[in-house]
Parts: sequence; C-alpha cells; structure tokens
Amino acid sequence: MGHQFLIAAFCATWAIQLGYVVWMIAKWRGQKAKLGSRS
Amino acid sequence: MKKLLFPLIALGVIALMGWGYYQAMYAAPTEATMGDVQRIFYYHVPNAMLSFLFFAISFVASCLYLAWRRNQPSLAQAADAWALAGAEVGVVYCSVVLITGPLWGRPVWGIWWTWDARLTTTLVLWLIYVSYLLLRHFAAGAQMQTLAAVLAIFGALDVPIVYMANRWWRTQHPAPVFGGSEDSGIKDPHMLAAFGWNVLAWAVWGLLLLAIRIVVERRQQSISGGEARAALAAD
Repeated sequence: MGHQFLIAAFCATWAIQLGYVVWMIAKWRGQKAKLGSRS
Repeated sequence: MKKLLFPLIALGVIALMGWGYYQAMYAAPTEATMGDVQRIFYYHVPNAMLSFLFFAISFVASCLYLAWRRNQPSLAQAADAWALAGAEVGVVYCSVVLITGPLWGRPVWGIWWTWDARLTTTLVLWLIYVSYLLLRHFAAGAQMQTLAAVLAIFGALDVPIVYMANRWWRTQHPAPVFGGSEDSGIKDPHMLAAFGWNVLAWAVWGLLLLAIRIVVERRQQSISGGEARAALAAD
C-alpha cells in the first residue's frame, strides 16, 4: 500500500515540475512568434 | 561555446536529478516502521526547504524593486523579474509540498489533512503567493508592480512562522528533522546521503528554472516596453 502512495507522490511531483517547464516553453515560443511578426 | 553551455548545464542537472532519484528509491534503506512510503520524505522535505529559499529571493528582489523604482528604473525592472521568478518557482515547490505531504500522511496518520499549525501556515503561504501571481496576471502597469512587491514582502513574513510552527506549537506534523531537539537529525548515513543528494539536486533544478524564468520575464519586459513606445509614437 505504501508503494502506491510513493508512486503517486513521485508522479504528482514531476507532473507539477514538468508542467511548469512546458508552460515556460510555451511562453518563450509565444514571445518568439511575437518578435518574429514584428520584424 | 555559448550555445552549448545551456544544453550542457541542463544535462548536468538532469543527471543529478537521476542520481537523486536513485539515492531516494534504491540506495537509502527502507525505514523500519513506515516502509517505502517514508521515501516521500526525500522529495517532500527538500521541496519545502527550497520553497523557503525561492520565497526569500522574491522577498529580497521585491525590497530592491521598492528601493530602486524611482531612482534606478532599469535596475528596478530587473529586480521585479527576479521577484516574479522567485515567487513562481516558490509556488511550484510549495505545491509539491502540499501534495506529497497528504500522500505521506494518509498511510502513516490515517488522514489526508489536519488543521495543525505547520500545515495551515504552509497553506496560507501558498495562498498568499498564488494571490501574488493572480495579481500580476490580471492587473497591469507600474502600480501593479508596487502592489505585488508589497504583497511578496508580506507573504515572506509567513516563512519564519511556517519554519517555527512545529517548534512553537504542538503539531500533528513530525518534529523538525534538523534544528529541533538535541536528538534530532538523520542517524543513518545512507539516509543522510540520500537526503543531501536530493537537496542538492532539487536546488540545482530550481535554480535552473529560476534562471530560465528570469530570462523569459526580461524578454517580456522588453516586448512590453517596445509596445508602449510604439503606442506613444502612434499618438
């Protein structure tokens, strides 16, 4: 039973951390597109 | 060489995270009473410690923003980017703490949550910084930056209260592992090593996220500045 909670904690941790990385990449690409359309 | 630097750093950080995972899941011995679920500790505690560090960065940068906003506007904008990045990464780390804590508490305590001082003050800390991020998202202009800086400073005042909560009050949350009573601390050297490696790995990962977020925010500031100048020129 402890094992399931450990896996859940591991998955939740990385879902949050990688979710933030993906959001930053999306923001970065949005900025790049904006700068590209301006020039 | 400069182009290679970021992928090399990122690879180093990922390798360190992998080593931290190995230490937490395989190298550290299984705890006698809690079993495997105790390994959540190697994620939960480093994330909690480092959320304090990132909120402290936001606090210092917010103070600098308030000090520089009239006399040194370009430095103030840099400080504002640091404050935002610190708050965001701090919220990410604090979210991990608030999710992994109940996942440990359910099998060990038999409950997901209790309104004890440590848990409640941590939730309040998270709510303050989430409100900081919402303020920054939904408001605009120099006034917003000033209000956000004040809010970040107030939020950081909760950090020492969270830290001291299980020292000042009797809590359901376990006693402090470090800096508590005389017999506190991790006794097993393998557990201590696993904990140390995970603190280091999560610190380096967080600093990488912080650096990327500062760069993204600085670029956003230059885009917004360019748009403002274009709007003025059009008038």
